[in-house]
Amino acid sequence: MLIAAVALVGLFPAMYLWLYKLGVVGTLSCKIGGCEKVNTSPWAMFLGQPVALWGVAYYILLFAVALAGTSERFADDRRVSVALVTLTGWGVLFSAYLTYLELAVIHAVCQWCVVSAVLVVVMFALSVVELKANRK
Amino acid sequence: MASSNARASKKRFTILLIAIVAVGAAALGYVAMRPKGGGGEAIDPNMPLGTAQGFLMGSPDAPVKIVEFADFECPACAQFAMLAEPDIRERLVKTGVASIEFFVFPLPSHPNSWPASNAAYCANEQGKFWEMHDRLFYTQDLWNTQSTSNPGKKMKGYAADIGLDADKFEECFDSRRHYPNIKASGAEAEKRGINETPSFIIGGKKYAGSLPYDEIKKLVDAELVRVGKTDTTAKGAK
Repeated sequence: MLIAAVALVGLFPAMYLWLYKLGVVGTLSCKIGGCEKVNTSPWAMFLGQPVALWGVAYYILLFAVALAGTSERFADDRRVSVALVTLTGWGVLFSAYLTYLELAVIHAVCQWCVVSAVLVVVMFALSVVELKANRK
Repeated sequence: MASSNARASKKRFTILLIAIVAVGAAALGYVAMRPKGGGGEAIDPNMPLGTAQGFLMGSPDAPVKIVEFADFECPACAQFAMLAEPDIRERLVKTGVASIEFFVFPLPSHPNSWPASNAAYCANEQGKFWEMHDRLFYTQDLWNTQSTSNPGKKMKGYAADIGLDADKFEECFDSRRHYPNIKASGAEAEKRGINETPSFIIGGKKYAGSLPYDEIKKLVDAELVRVGKTDTTAKGAK
């Protein structure tokens, strides 16, 4: 349940950055500077689409899987826990790559990307705990 | 008993999800409805179109023409101007391999880009477009929309710094006579399918983003090969 709630929280910063890329949102609200520099850099695109859009799709997928895991039908199904660990594990790796780009290549940090990275790490930890609990 | 506990837990979970969606949607709605840029001067949407003008650096006969569309308030454009452009000027423009033609393209999210473009156009009247161009990009964080609602004050200071006739500059800046030309420059960018800044056209192809010098050099070399001027690279461009 908690993973679904965290995924839903994460969806909004991703949507905010995506709306910025679409031009719906003007200047990004950024307390620690660098949000626009990061989001207008060439690395803000991945496989031809804005990274923010990939983020939106990722959080929707994660929310759907986590929500499915809360239903009675999948309550004891280990496959959901494995899928969550896999998805969040991938999220941690991708967030680490993006953080590396921010620090070492772009030389700017986007606070919304940091929020997303923290949420992904939290979800990964929760997924691992849930998977272990499901083993018993 | 267990079943009623599960039902209560499910109910709390549903309320939590609804609360998250409500808060998130309200926050997104607020930022989407907020005036873009949170300030800046009003631009008349019915302003007539002037003439789109590119500002040239280098020989008009250079074999490769790099056309740049940039927004003075865009951080990636400033990054390009500060990191890649000095090398491009030194190694490609000064050696006669390429020229740079700069078009302003103020984005709606950067209201202070209009007065900045205006300052560059007014500096051009006194033959110092590139000096103002550099000054604006190197000091972007001091006059951007997040820093000030009165960027004109800063820009008038820059005019004095780079040796412009202050009275002439101020008259030009305050008259806003170049605004229709700035609008035309943006329209030219849109006509060419440019939708982000900085963007470049080299050899008829579009490239978006703050490209590093090495990337620009590769594109210029490829264009030299295409136009059959490969011997030009031997003049010193590395």
